[in-house]
Amino acid sequence: MSDTALQTHPAGDRQPRFGALLERTGLPIFLVILIAIFAVIPSTGEDFRTLVNIQNILAYQSVTGLIALAMVLPLIAGYFDLSVAAIAGLSNVTVATLMSEYGQSVAVSLAAGVAVGALAGALNAFLVSVLNLDAFITTLGTYIFWAGALALYTGGTTIASNIPLEFSLWTTKKWLGIPGPFWLLIVVALIVWYFLTQVPFGRKLAAIGSNETAANLAGIRTRRSIGLTFVLSGVLAGVAGALLTSTNGGGDATSAISYLFPALAAVFLGRTAIDPGHYNVWGTIIGLFLVAVAVDGFTLMGAPASVTQMFNGAALVISVVLATFTTRARERKARGIQLQTLRSSDQPSSRKSPDTTPAQGSAAPAG
Amino acid sequence: MSVNGSGERTAGSAGALGPGAPGTGRLMAGTDKGDGGAAPTGVAGATDDSVALSIHGFCKVFPGTQALNDVSLQIRYGEVHALCGGNGCGKSTLIKILSGVVPADKGRVTLGGRELDASELTAKTSYELGFRVVHQDPPLYLDLSVAENMMLGGSYPTSRPNRIAWGNVRRRAHELIERFDIKAKPDTLVRDLPVSVRTQVAIATALQDVKDGRCIVALDEPTAALPAAEVQLLLSVVRQLASMGHAIILVSHRLDEVLAVTDRVTVMRDGRVFKDHRTQTLTENELIESIVGRPADEIRQRRATTSVGEPVLTVADLSAGPVQDVSFQVHAGEVLGVAGLLGSGRTELLSAIYGGLKKSAGQITLHGRPTNFTSMDKAIEAGVVMIPEDRSRGAAFLDMSVDENMDISVLSRYWRGFGFRRAQLRQDAAALRAKFKVKAPSGSVRMRTLSGGNQQKAILARWLRRDASVLLLDEPSQGVDVGARADIYSAVRSVTAAGGAAVVVTSDMEELAQFVDRAIVLRNGRLIAHVGSEELTAHRLNQLVHMESREKL
Repeated sequence: MSDTALQTHPAGDRQPRFGALLERTGLPIFLVILIAIFAVIPSTGEDFRTLVNIQNILAYQSVTGLIALAMVLPLIAGYFDLSVAAIAGLSNVTVATLMSEYGQSVAVSLAAGVAVGALAGALNAFLVSVLNLDAFITTLGTYIFWAGALALYTGGTTIASNIPLEFSLWTTKKWLGIPGPFWLLIVVALIVWYFLTQVPFGRKLAAIGSNETAANLAGIRTRRSIGLTFVLSGVLAGVAGALLTSTNGGGDATSAISYLFPALAAVFLGRTAIDPGHYNVWGTIIGLFLVAVAVDGFTLMGAPASVTQMFNGAALVISVVLATFTTRARERKARGIQLQTLRSSDQPSSRKSPDTTPAQGSAAPAG
Repeated sequence: MSVNGSGERTAGSAGALGPGAPGTGRLMAGTDKGDGGAAPTGVAGATDDSVALSIHGFCKVFPGTQALNDVSLQIRYGEVHALCGGNGCGKSTLIKILSGVVPADKGRVTLGGRELDASELTAKTSYELGFRVVHQDPPLYLDLSVAENMMLGGSYPTSRPNRIAWGNVRRRAHELIERFDIKAKPDTLVRDLPVSVRTQVAIATALQDVKDGRCIVALDEPTAALPAAEVQLLLSVVRQLASMGHAIILVSHRLDEVLAVTDRVTVMRDGRVFKDHRTQTLTENELIESIVGRPADEIRQRRATTSVGEPVLTVADLSAGPVQDVSFQVHAGEVLGVAGLLGSGRTELLSAIYGGLKKSAGQITLHGRPTNFTSMDKAIEAGVVMIPEDRSRGAAFLDMSVDENMDISVLSRYWRGFGFRRAQLRQDAAALRAKFKVKAPSGSVRMRTLSGGNQQKAILARWLRRDASVLLLDEPSQGVDVGARADIYSAVRSVTAAGGAAVVVTSDMEELAQFVDRAIVLRNGRLIAHVGSEELTAHRLNQLVHMESREKL
């Protein structure tokens, strides 16, 4: 859906088209099958099918989803941002503090949370795109640094007093029977998707992610674009943190930073679907809910809550396995196609080579 | 020094006389010492003692090219044998196959007295049979000492199960340093050594476990990265190796070196052996003719008939990076060639014009207006586009689709404030693919699946669709077949015919002679010659590019 041009294959090559389609839709199909299984089998079916359960699954993934989308932005340009979960924490604590300790209005607090996210993103942007430091290490550093700063500021307590009840209850509000946070996630996902695929800047980011040197030589301001992705990533993390304040009814040092690995799992699973081999928005959303449904189903079966971690870990490994093997297969296929065209073009050309290659023609007088 | 090193190891096998003796010519001067002690017989040398390596009918196909086509070759012990030829003639593929890194499709090889099918040639067997490669940029560990580098190339001597016997390490390194006459101490860090000495260390490392002084050593452009002062030193090392009885394969672009140091020269062209020469009777002109493939005085090809118009691009006294004081003009309707070896500043020259490299002095004028591009997007905006060398690194987005590769230059033209005009994009892309003869099953296949020539045509389409007025092309036909090359140049001609100008950098002098109107020659960052259309031949260009001795123009 992200690129309609991909659907227009010439008639004739039916078999590869099916393979490509399967590669694209494998993960969504798996999600549907998983839902069907949990809805049918007796040990989970009854609880799984309830409206409350479905609403829970939808509502509780929004923070993870927003953080995952925040990671997708720099990743499309080929850069890791591991600090997003900690930036969400900064926003979370900022929003809660402003409301509970400084009595600020909800609107001001939320805006401040997002602004703090943008500032923290700007710091990453400075370090990575201006100073040209390695993004993985740098953002791992800022992740740990902010996590420590949060622990220092909160002293391990939860900032929850004087948070307006109205604000805390927002996450339970529903529209068309679907929880508010889910709508927020979908709206943000739509905006990010639009930005990445329907705007020239997004296409340029993809080019940077594909080959930064080539993008630079093609006149794209690579450093500036990369910096901007970190700022935008910080903004999204800020939104995630603000939402978390509502979900948790307060701010604390540890809950936001624990979203790093679930979000990573969703992002990497997402790379194996919809637009395989590329980080993409809808793949990420599907990856997110795949893990969520699996965790939900198995908890209903009686598995302890700690299975979540195992699922996140497994999702990371599986996504890497899928991505690696499909990439290898694709490269093998590309080589195959090249060899094939070479052979087909070689046959006629080798026959007439004596009179076309200059080397042969002029060799006689030279020797 | 060659005596004490290999002599002790080969005691008793010194019966036969120096195997290289019959065909060595100038070798004699250097071999008086080596012949007696250090040039023993091979074990299996029953038939022809002097042949170290013989190759029969090697074939190798890579995607896009037939890299080797029925190549046969003989290399003898005690001789320096040069492999010459233009870029992409198959020299390096041959070396890779012999060292077992790349498997050959077909062929037989006799290596160190054992006959093998080419498919049996693995890195291990190749090494065991005495084939050694020393690359242009030898894989040394700069932060480790000479001794450690040598041991890592072979193995550390250990005393008890796992303890390194450091005393032993030093002794062995010392031995090697003496045997190969290296001006270094075992403890010296490789980083602190001059480049030529590093190469010596690499050679010593490669040859350290040779017991009987009979190896086939392939040196891949050993002097390419060397400062001029060190070249002589390394060449004498090469002679010395040959006088020890080794067979040396020297891959080099520098013809003066080839003529000075080798005994035989094999010229390759388009994946075939074109000719074998004896260096003794070879003149420089013959060698160039042989490499280039046409007599020196052959009339050059007809050029485009468009008359030359106004100056489009004027470069005056430009200095940037290695480029010093370069001035030239390109007129409307004209294709200017830039000839020069790797490292001559040819790529940096284009980059400086394009705004990718900061210039320290000079003036660039475009259409009569002085310009100073501080970034590449400004250059593109002004109608100057560059197609960089090394397509897969510098130009192609391999995991994006062909159409996306072509769109990237004009995205904003197709954006309407909400989204892209996708139908129009698709339609135009299809038209472009047809116009530039990009052979792809569809526009949505990944760039990776295309052959080199088609990738290059797609990249050309990416830029030419912008109606650029100045084209800068760096090695546009690298890894591109002959047909695609013609397509590429006809596309360039279509731009110049419409009043644009083009600057083409390529190391293929044949290509320059064939396709450009005029050429400038760079050496060591300086412009050393303007070659007008009347004397623009591959031969002349090769002379100018290769010959350090001929300063007079």
